[in-house]
Amino acid sequence: MPVNNTHAETEKLIMRLYKSAFPLVARYVAKLGGSFDDARDVFQDALVIYYEKAAAGKLELQKTESAYLLGIAKHLWFKKFKDGRYDISLDEFEGFDLPDEAEPQPAAEKLLHYLETAGQKCMDILSAFYYDKLPMKQIAGLFGYSGERSVTVQKYKCLEKVRETIKQNALAYEDFID
Amino acid sequence: MHWLMRTLLTEIQQIDEHVQGTAAPGEALLFEAKLLLDAELPLKVQWHKQTLGLVQQYGRKNLISIIGDVHNQLFTLPQHQSFRQKIMGLFR
Repeated sequence: MPVNNTHAETEKLIMRLYKSAFPLVARYVAKLGGSFDDARDVFQDALVIYYEKAAAGKLELQKTESAYLLGIAKHLWFKKFKDGRYDISLDEFEGFDLPDEAEPQPAAEKLLHYLETAGQKCMDILSAFYYDKLPMKQIAGLFGYSGERSVTVQKYKCLEKVRETIKQNALAYEDFID
Repeated sequence: MHWLMRTLLTEIQQIDEHVQGTAAPGEALLFEAKLLLDAELPLKVQWHKQTLGLVQQYGRKNLISIIGDVHNQLFTLPQHQSFRQKIMGLFR
């Protein structure tokens, strides 16, 4: 699955995966007594895991997309039964390692909201680099930079900008708890 | 580019390579030494990790929103009626 970051491309990809794999997952969940909502939840979580694995280049190539998604969904469904609950964190998925830093931190939601509005372009660029893990050349094209060098400089500027926001936030928080 | 900006960007690049584990062996050693000598550097590394964590959350949030849109399209728009019927038929 080629991960391709324009909103329209990602939507097309998800639509294709939904059409090909959701019927399989729904049939599996229905057979085991689950509801439509169960199937939807399990499938949507499986899509996120699949996308992130693909972006990280960690897919086993011999499996088809549908088989892979069904496999992940079965795993999630099994966990639901074993743990008796559904609120599984995607990060716990076996073989699916996210850095600890992805765990929500205090005030992270507030920070994220701020960055979404004040620094959306930077967040989009950084997300293309670190979440979608697109090649530099493609990111330059997507965001209208003349070449890999200028988009790399922009990446570091954005990292600096977001880090500065985090730093200010951390300092404000220290003031607050003192 | 101003030299100060250039120095700053070089440092961020080094921090990023340290966090991602992509620094060349020699560079990695040098950075470990800097971590011991520069009192603020470990803090910067911490902020950098938080930055990447927020970027991860941001990216995932966008993906989840696209997935939700696609689901709504499939289960409301007339052109997807046969798909919808196929799925709903499984849960009767």
